[in-house]
Amino acid sequence: MCCRRLAFWACLPLAVLGLSETFHEQLHIRSLPDGKVASRFSFSTILAGAHPPSPHNRSLDDDPQHYTLFPLGLGQILREYAVTEMHLTLNAGKWSYDRWGYPEEDGVGTGAELWAWMADGADATVDQRWLGLRNALAGLFCASLGSLDELRTTSPGFVFAPGALPDWPFPHAIRHASLPSEHVCTENLTPFLKLLPCKSSSGLASLLNPHRLFEADWHGMGLHVSWLPEEGVQVRLTFQTVSDPLRPSNKRDWSFGSLFDRTIQRSCPVASSSEIAVALPFRVPYTISPEPSLVDSGLAIFDVSQMEKPLDVSLHWPQGFQYSTSALAEAPLSIRRTLKGYTQDNGELSVLIKNDQDRSVDVAYLETMPWIVQFYLHTLILQIDGVTRPELLRNITYTPPVPHSRATMFQVIVQIPPRSTLKLSMDITKAFLRYTEHPPDAQRGWDLPPAVFVPLDSEPQRRIYAPTLLVDLATPDFSMPYNVIIFTCSLIAFIFGSIFNYLTRRFVVLQVPS
Amino acid sequence: MHVDDLTLPALVGGRVAVALATDLYQQLKYNHQLASPLTSYLNLQEGVFLFKNGVDPYFGGVFRHSPLFLALFTTLIPTSRTICSLLWTLSDAVGAWALVQIWRARQRAPQTSRDGLVAAAYLLNPYLFLPTFALSTCTFENTLTLLSVMFAAQGSVSPALLSAALLLQLSLSSILLTAPLILLLANSTGPVSQLASPHAFASNGRKVLPLVAEYVAYVAILSLASTLVSGSWAWIPQTWGANITLPDLTPNVGVWWYFFTEMFDHFRPFFLMVFSVHLLIYVAPVCIKFQYDPLYAAFVLQGVLGTFKAYPTMADIGLFLSMFAVFPELFTYLRHPIVTIFLHLHAALLMPLFHHLWLSQGTANANFFYATTLVFACANGAALTDCVWAGMRIAIGQPQDGYSVVQE
Repeated sequence: MCCRRLAFWACLPLAVLGLSETFHEQLHIRSLPDGKVASRFSFSTILAGAHPPSPHNRSLDDDPQHYTLFPLGLGQILREYAVTEMHLTLNAGKWSYDRWGYPEEDGVGTGAELWAWMADGADATVDQRWLGLRNALAGLFCASLGSLDELRTTSPGFVFAPGALPDWPFPHAIRHASLPSEHVCTENLTPFLKLLPCKSSSGLASLLNPHRLFEADWHGMGLHVSWLPEEGVQVRLTFQTVSDPLRPSNKRDWSFGSLFDRTIQRSCPVASSSEIAVALPFRVPYTISPEPSLVDSGLAIFDVSQMEKPLDVSLHWPQGFQYSTSALAEAPLSIRRTLKGYTQDNGELSVLIKNDQDRSVDVAYLETMPWIVQFYLHTLILQIDGVTRPELLRNITYTPPVPHSRATMFQVIVQIPPRSTLKLSMDITKAFLRYTEHPPDAQRGWDLPPAVFVPLDSEPQRRIYAPTLLVDLATPDFSMPYNVIIFTCSLIAFIFGSIFNYLTRRFVVLQVPS
Repeated sequence: MHVDDLTLPALVGGRVAVALATDLYQQLKYNHQLASPLTSYLNLQEGVFLFKNGVDPYFGGVFRHSPLFLALFTTLIPTSRTICSLLWTLSDAVGAWALVQIWRARQRAPQTSRDGLVAAAYLLNPYLFLPTFALSTCTFENTLTLLSVMFAAQGSVSPALLSAALLLQLSLSSILLTAPLILLLANSTGPVSQLASPHAFASNGRKVLPLVAEYVAYVAILSLASTLVSGSWAWIPQTWGANITLPDLTPNVGVWWYFFTEMFDHFRPFFLMVFSVHLLIYVAPVCIKFQYDPLYAAFVLQGVLGTFKAYPTMADIGLFLSMFAVFPELFTYLRHPIVTIFLHLHAALLMPLFHHLWLSQGTANANFFYATTLVFACANGAALTDCVWAGMRIAIGQPQDGYSVVQE
C-alpha cells in the first residue's frame, strides 16, 4: 500500500499535472596552452519538479508520457528501468591532462563508459534493469553498449559517487562498465541530435557538423541524467572537441567557420537560455568579434538570441604562436600507466603518479578490469625513487574476478608526497580464453578500460582518466577445433582401448613356427 | 652403519643445499609445466594475502588451493621464500623416505641393498625436483600420496586413511587412489608382490565397510574444518569444482586444457562429464584385475592420474615414474621401455621449448605446445599400458624356446 502511494505521488507530477520544461544550451570555448581549442557544447533539459522514476512504478508502465522538450525516447527508458542517475560517454582519443588540464566534463575516458545509480527493492533486480538499460541505450545511440555485459560490469560506488539521491526506503546501487574499444562516430551523433528540441537546425546545435567534429584531435559526447532536488530531473547532452587550428594555418586564431565550418543562422526558439562563453586570453593582445554581450571574470559571454545573425564568433591573436617548453597546464597530477612484460601469460602493471605540488595529495585509484587480466595483489609495490613505501597505501577494496564472467574491481587510496613521483606496480597474469571468447581480430589484443584517479582533497572532486591499455593474449589456433577434438579423443581412446584390451583378454602361450 | 643408510640423508642434504644456494623459483614461478593454477605458489601467496586483508579468497579470483593451505600459511608458516624452499625440499625428503618404506614393506625386509636407489629415484627425478624448486604444491600431494600408501602398506589403518583424506582436500582427483588403498588395508597378503601368483582377493570383504566409513568420516571432518577456516562452503566450487568445470584454461602438460579451449560451447558440459567419468572408469577394472596386489593397482591408477587428470603437472607423472623403482620385477617383462623413454625425452625437451616459442618468443603458436603435450600423453600412455601388460605378464613367466606369450 505504501509503495502504491509512493508510486502514485512520484508519477503524479509526471503524468497528470504536465510539468514545466526548460531547455538551456551553452557553448564553452577555450584556447589550450598548446594552441589547440577545446569546445564544449552542453544542452540541458530540466523537467521541473519531477522525481526520478521509482522502481515500484513499473505497474504504471502504460501511463502516457507527455513531454514538449524532454526527449521522449529517453524518458521512456528512464522510467522503464527506473534509473535515478545515469551517465553515458562515448569518446575517441586520449585526453592529455598534462597539456590541456582538466576537461570541462569529467568523463573523458577513451571509448564508451556507462554508469547508473538505480534503486533496489523492486521486482526487477538492479542487474536485470542494468541489462535492459544497456540494451535500450545501445538501440537509442546505435552503439555497441550491449557489450557492456557482466564481463565488464563493476560497482565502484566511491569513485563514481552519485549527485542527489531521493530519500527512498530502499538503497541505491551503482553499475558501471566501460568499453574502451568503442568509438564515437557519425551514427552516434545523429541519434544524439534527435534528442534535442531544435535538432541541429537552429541554435548552438547547428554548429555540430559531423565532418569537423570527428576530425578533431579529441572528441566525445555524453548523456547525463541526474536529479536536482531543487529543480527536477535534468537531462544534459554534451559534446566536447579539441580542435587544432594550428594544423591548417599555423596560427591559433579560430572562428566558428574554421572550427565547425558553420555559423549560427538562427537561435533555437524554445531555448530559455542560449549562451556562448569564450575564455579570453590572459595578458596577451587579442581581438574578439563580434562584441560580446558581457565580459565576466575572463569569459566573454554571447547571448545567442540577442546577437545578430548569422553569428560567427572569432578570436584573433596578432602575435604568432610560440610553443612553450615549460609545463603547459595546471593539472595537479601527471599519470602514466603501462603494461610491461613481453610474454603472453604474465606481465606487470605499472602506474607512475607525479605530484608537482608543494603538499601531499591523497588519490583514490580505481582499476576495473575484465577477468582476462588477473592481479597478484601480494606483489603490489609502492616506490618513491626506488625506496619501497608501503605506508602510502590504504583502504584496499578488491573484488576478485570470476573466470568467464565477473570483472575485477580494485580500488585503493594512495598518498603522494609533495614533489615526488609514486611508482605503483603489481604482477598480473593474462588469462587463456576459450576460442569462442576471442574477438574476430584476436591478434590485435584486448583494450583494457582506463583507470580512474580522484584527488581527494580538491573540491569538487574530479576524475582523472588514465589512458587505456592494450593487452596481448595468447590465442589458440582458430582453424582447428575439429582437429584438436579428434586428436585428443583418438589418443584417449587409444590408451583407454589398449588398457582394457590388456585387462580383459586371456594370455595364451603359442608355439612359434620356426 | 651400512653405506646405504647414508644415501637418503646424503641425497636430502644435496637437495637442501641446492634449494638454499639457488633461487630457481624466480625462473620457474610462471612455468606452466611445473605448477598448474591449482598448485601454483603465486596463487597460494595471493590467497594468503587476500585472506590476511579480509577479502574472501574463494570469492572468485585465482586462488584454488585448499583452505587447509590457507590455515597453514596464514598462521604457522611465514611465507618467506627460504623457509618455503626448505619446507618443500623436506616434503620431498619425507616422500622419498615413504617410498623407501613402501619398498621395504613390499620386500618384507627391514633393510635392502636397493634402498638408496629407491630414494634416488624419487629425489633425483627431474619431474619431481623441478616442481619443488617452483614451489608447486603438487609436491605435498605427492608426499601425502606416498604417505598414505606407506601407512596402508604397513597396515596402519587410521594414518593411511587420514593422509588419504588430507590428499583429497588438496586434490579431488586423488579419489581414484582410495579404492586400492582400502583394498591394501583390507588385504591379508599385504603389500608383498603377488603379481607372479594371481589369486582371488584374499580377505574378508566385510573389513572394507568400516574402512570406507572411517575414510568418509575423515573427509567429512576435514571438509568441515576447511569450511570453518574459510568461513563458507565457497571453497568447494573454487577448489574441487575446478577439477570438474575447468574454469582456468592455462596450458599444462595434460590433455584437458587445449581440448576445452577449442571445444564448441554447446558440447562443453558433455565432454567435461566424459573426461571426468573417464578418469573414474579405470578404478573398478584395475582394482578387480589386480585384486591380489592392490599396491600395484595404486601404482597403475597413479599413472592414469598423471596422464589424464584435469590439472596435471610434471610431478604427477613423475611420481608414477619414480614408483617404478618399487616394482623391479616388471622390468624384464616391459615390452617397449626404450620407446617410452624416447617419447619422454622428446616431450620433456620440446615442451619447455615450444612453450617458450609460443608464449614468450611469439614465433610458434599454440599447436606446437599442444603437439608436445600429445607426445607427452603418448609417452605416459606407453608407460601405463606397458605396466598393465607387464603386471599381468609376470604370472606366465618366461616361456620355453619356440613359444611366445600373446593375448587371444
